[in-house]
Amino acid sequence: MKLFKADKNELLEISEEYLAQTLKGAKILHDLVMLFTDNKLNKADLEQVIESEHQCDILKEKYTEVLFKEKRALPFLVEDRYKILMNIDQINDKTEYFARFLQTYPFELYDDITDEFKALCEHCMKTVESLINCATLIETDFESAYAKTFEIEATRRKARKARFHLLEEIFKKTEEPTRVYLTSKIVTIIYDIAHWAEEVSDFLRGLIIKYPSR
Amino acid sequence: MSLSTIVIVFIIISVLISFAIGANDETMATIYGSRTLKMREILILAVIFAILGAFILGGSVSETVGKDLLFFSIGNSVVLTILISTAIWLIISSIFGLPISTTHATIGSIIGVGLLLGGGGGVNWLTILEMGLWWLLSPLIGFIVTYFAYKLIHKSIINKLSGFRNYEKAERIFSYILLVVICWTAFSRAGNDCSNAVGIVAGLDVNLDLILLIAGLSFASGIVIIGRGVIKNVGTITELHPSTAFASEIPTAIILFFGTLLGIPLSGSHMLVASLVGLSKARRAPMSKGLWKILMIWLLTFPVAAILSVILYFPIDIFI
Repeated sequence: MKLFKADKNELLEISEEYLAQTLKGAKILHDLVMLFTDNKLNKADLEQVIESEHQCDILKEKYTEVLFKEKRALPFLVEDRYKILMNIDQINDKTEYFARFLQTYPFELYDDITDEFKALCEHCMKTVESLINCATLIETDFESAYAKTFEIEATRRKARKARFHLLEEIFKKTEEPTRVYLTSKIVTIIYDIAHWAEEVSDFLRGLIIKYPSR
Repeated sequence: MSLSTIVIVFIIISVLISFAIGANDETMATIYGSRTLKMREILILAVIFAILGAFILGGSVSETVGKDLLFFSIGNSVVLTILISTAIWLIISSIFGLPISTTHATIGSIIGVGLLLGGGGGVNWLTILEMGLWWLLSPLIGFIVTYFAYKLIHKSIINKLSGFRNYEKAERIFSYILLVVICWTAFSRAGNDCSNAVGIVAGLDVNLDLILLIAGLSFASGIVIIGRGVIKNVGTITELHPSTAFASEIPTAIILFFGTLLGIPLSGSHMLVASLVGLSKARRAPMSKGLWKILMIWLLTFPVAAILSVILYFPIDIFI
């Protein structure tokens, strides 16, 4: 009987690897965006982010394969872990999308918004970092994970404030409408990462509330 | 019809009724509902414990059902009528995946044929009343004990767990305990239910051990061939996890085991369904929409089994 097999560890190992890879991808993107704001970005380096997303996809497929091959005891946990993974996968998709968009972005960033843009990137990175921490903590400590979800919410608020401030500054510009439009898109796309991180943290908070009242 | 032919016919009918009881057996439902085991594994376990239970525990209740309920001497046609009408009603309900009490169906048939042949004085109402009290009490106990068992487990264990891994560990332990409890229930349940199938045959000059073994095999076949619908229906009355399934199985297992040992024909189906309802109430969780069908068929079991026995008696009597 498979009930007596320790078949859960493989899933956990893949999940941990997946979270680490997601964080790695986000960090690479963060570093590259910092270079972009200083006009030192080599666009070919953005391929690293795309490659990281690809690695995450491979891990995701491996996870799904193990899940459906070994699916059995404690399915409520299996299902919830799977949902967490799928939600976090959106972070990878969004970072990849941003990297691809940045590859095609034909301008330099406006000098007067550089600092605010860097701040927005920092907030986004922090939300992703906190989210990965939260997803790790939910395995062993509900209270700390619960507290983390509020950290993510607070950081996302800062990101939102920075986003609208940036947009306000960008829309003041009257020359080069294409540059204005594409720069506003860049701001929106990178903010989306923080926004989605908060959505996932809300989901995690829901799980933390649900479990003790099962 | 010669005596040996009658004995063979009785044994065939007993095999059929055992099959029908097995088809309506929902003991493994909580293992299915909590997805602790796959259906294939569930069926293997069910077969093993059905055979063991029928053979080892089946003799005790048989005597109560077979000898104490009717005041007049039991003829062959009466025995056949009771067995066939019970089997028909069991098979009908199993086809719809609805769990009914085999004991209720059997007693309903006995009352029907008893009233037909002996009038009000033909039936041992005192024993029926005594049994009736247990039938009312057992689901009630199942409901109450499960309600409080869940609250206790939740407060003392589940509420104190933090993190998925702790849940996983706790639920895994519950899975193992649940398996033991279910196997115990299946064992005592097979003893209780198979006795109904062979109970009236016990009055004839046959080897009861052999009949019980055959009944156990037939019971197991019923579970494997058409019992899945009932297992699935009961297992999905409310959302189950190993810990909650465990809370709902405790009263059923304890009460059934002692009931079987004491020779009290209890309804395992009613107890388990009542336990699951108790669990659902304790968790404030939604229940399956099909529950009303189960309640409806419970109410219908007594009268329908009695009417069936009345209808079947004369054709069988002419045949015999």
